[in-house]
Amino acid sequence: MKKKVLSVLLCAAMATTMLAACGGGSGSTGDTGSSGGSSDSGKKQYAIVPKSAGNPYNEKEVEGFQTIIEANGGECVVNYPQEATADAQITVINSLISQNVASIAVAANDENALQSVLEDAMSKGIKVSCLDSSVNKDSRQTFANQAGVNEVAQALCDAVLDISGGSGDWAILSASSQATNQNAWIEAMKSIMENDSKYADLNLVEVAYGDDETQKSTDQTQALLTNYPNLKVICAPTTVGIAAAAKVVQDAGSSVLVTGLGLPSEMAEYIGTSADGKSCPYMFLWNPIDLGKLSAYISLALVDGTITGAVGDTFEAKELGTTYTITEAADGGTEVILGAPFAFTPDNIAEWKDVY
Amino acid sequence: MAGKSGRTINATPQNVWKKRLISWEGVLVVILVAVLILCRAMSANYTFENVLREMPKYLSEMFLMLPMAFILMMGEIDISVGSIVCLSGTLGCFAVNAGLPFPVALLIMLGSGIICGAINGLIIVMFPELPSMIVTLGTQIIFRGIAEIMLGGGGSISATNADGFRAIGKSIGNIPMVFFLVVIASVIFVLISTKMKFGRELMAIGSNRLTAFYSGVKVKKVLFITYVTMGAFSALCAIFFTAATYGANTTTGKGFEMDAIAMAVFGGISSTGGKGKMIGGIISAFVIICLRIGLGQKNMNSQLILLIIGVLLIGAVVLPNISAMITAKKKKASV
Repeated sequence: MKKKVLSVLLCAAMATTMLAACGGGSGSTGDTGSSGGSSDSGKKQYAIVPKSAGNPYNEKEVEGFQTIIEANGGECVVNYPQEATADAQITVINSLISQNVASIAVAANDENALQSVLEDAMSKGIKVSCLDSSVNKDSRQTFANQAGVNEVAQALCDAVLDISGGSGDWAILSASSQATNQNAWIEAMKSIMENDSKYADLNLVEVAYGDDETQKSTDQTQALLTNYPNLKVICAPTTVGIAAAAKVVQDAGSSVLVTGLGLPSEMAEYIGTSADGKSCPYMFLWNPIDLGKLSAYISLALVDGTITGAVGDTFEAKELGTTYTITEAADGGTEVILGAPFAFTPDNIAEWKDVY
Repeated sequence: MAGKSGRTINATPQNVWKKRLISWEGVLVVILVAVLILCRAMSANYTFENVLREMPKYLSEMFLMLPMAFILMMGEIDISVGSIVCLSGTLGCFAVNAGLPFPVALLIMLGSGIICGAINGLIIVMFPELPSMIVTLGTQIIFRGIAEIMLGGGGSISATNADGFRAIGKSIGNIPMVFFLVVIASVIFVLISTKMKFGRELMAIGSNRLTAFYSGVKVKKVLFITYVTMGAFSALCAIFFTAATYGANTTTGKGFEMDAIAMAVFGGISSTGGKGKMIGGIISAFVIICLRIGLGQKNMNSQLILLIIGVLLIGAVVLPNISAMITAKKKKASV
């Protein structure tokens, strides 16, 4: 009998601890500016759901998102899913619907699995957009796309022109010959170069395919170096390819230079001037902070009614310095393209190599 | 083993109501009410409507908890259920996408669940020396592996014609349909465990397998039936989970087995077998569900939510032991 009374008492103690823990919890989330209840502060709540917690790339996106929302008088709700799965994101989004936030921006872990819950959100008047990786067209109003085909191609063409000094042989090291995004970029590069005379002296000798495998990319790079003694530039629009090519070229002490799309963390040791024996003067990828900012402007514009997510809508993104127009995406939905990819140079690589 | 079976087959009921009030199940009801009041106080959005709307995803996990409680009562475990959910969900989506009528897809899902459960059951019955933890760890990897192979490179499938799943996911008024099913299933499981021979046999097996065997309990049959039931209910879980996602991917159902075990253990059902009541598991499931929804609405860090649930679980397991220790000491002192 006493034992039972005791356990009831202990339970009460446990419940009290729980209460304390909850108090502490809401306090700590308050630090990131996400205390619940829009009625408390009277501010509109703009939510962002990243892919997972503890991912520096995601945290940079959140950082950019939060800056813009708060600068525009909104309240930013950051809600990390428990795991990097769509299931965990469903839970989080369900909870945001209950909180009746004004908008949800999500970096989806699965293209389709969030459809039910995002449709539910939209039917309750919540504005839904994505960033970084999209959901299918029925589950979103628009998408902040970091990798616009033409923007990427243009940046790569200019890099090749610049690095080669305006003329000479260059080659592309791609992933697999079926990769949709790779082929789109390569086609766009070819057409840009055909249509502008300033690229006339550049000679594309080969498109090699490394299948996004380090070993195969290494072999292909070596073959390029052997087959084309006058080669000046290798452009690899794939993170695996560029890292492999940069390593081969740097180890061989060749005069060929490498550029393309790469991860700062993998490329840090190859980025630098050729005088220092580095093989990659600069390369590109998107800037997650800017992507977060763009996503925040999209959320703000959707909520205040400037845009509805339809093709042709325009909105101003002050801090990014331009006005964006919504365009049609490849999947039939709409998207906003962030712009030219971000250049990683010897000056900024040290700061980015720990980020992603 | 008198102590172990003490909670199993109670002596003649005395002071029934008093006893119920201060049993672990009674305590759980108190905790449930406390959680509801607490969450309501914390969040203005913690309304009936919102909680019910967020519930289906968790409720589908309750289908796993019910038979899992039976398995735990027998002193066994099944950690392959999350993978069965994944495989069944994947098959369902493939069936719908292949143009099969929705009821056929449902049958395929149920069938695959039953087959998976039967495989688990067969191995465990045929090789009694193998711990069920290891057997189901193996099948966990196998079932998810099959699903991953089917899903291929992308790792995700979407039901192109989701009308059927949409219909299942609907609500009647504010109450999601799955809620009614969970209630019905819960009632059936409670009745089986309290009123039927099968429930007593489960407990007997969990308390002392050898004694149960010599008393004429068909141990292997009971084990097999329970594992098949587990498989079938994993498929039910998959059906309602797919109704929330219109698709499946390689991470579908990941960790569901642990959620189900946590609900049961928090409800006082011991994993060593022979202890606990079905109703305890059901109430504790609602405690955990309501708490998670409430904490989620405060945008609490989800890792912190897990931590709180973990602390609660350890508390639930340790509490009876502590209080037993104290009473034992007191008894000693009085002697």
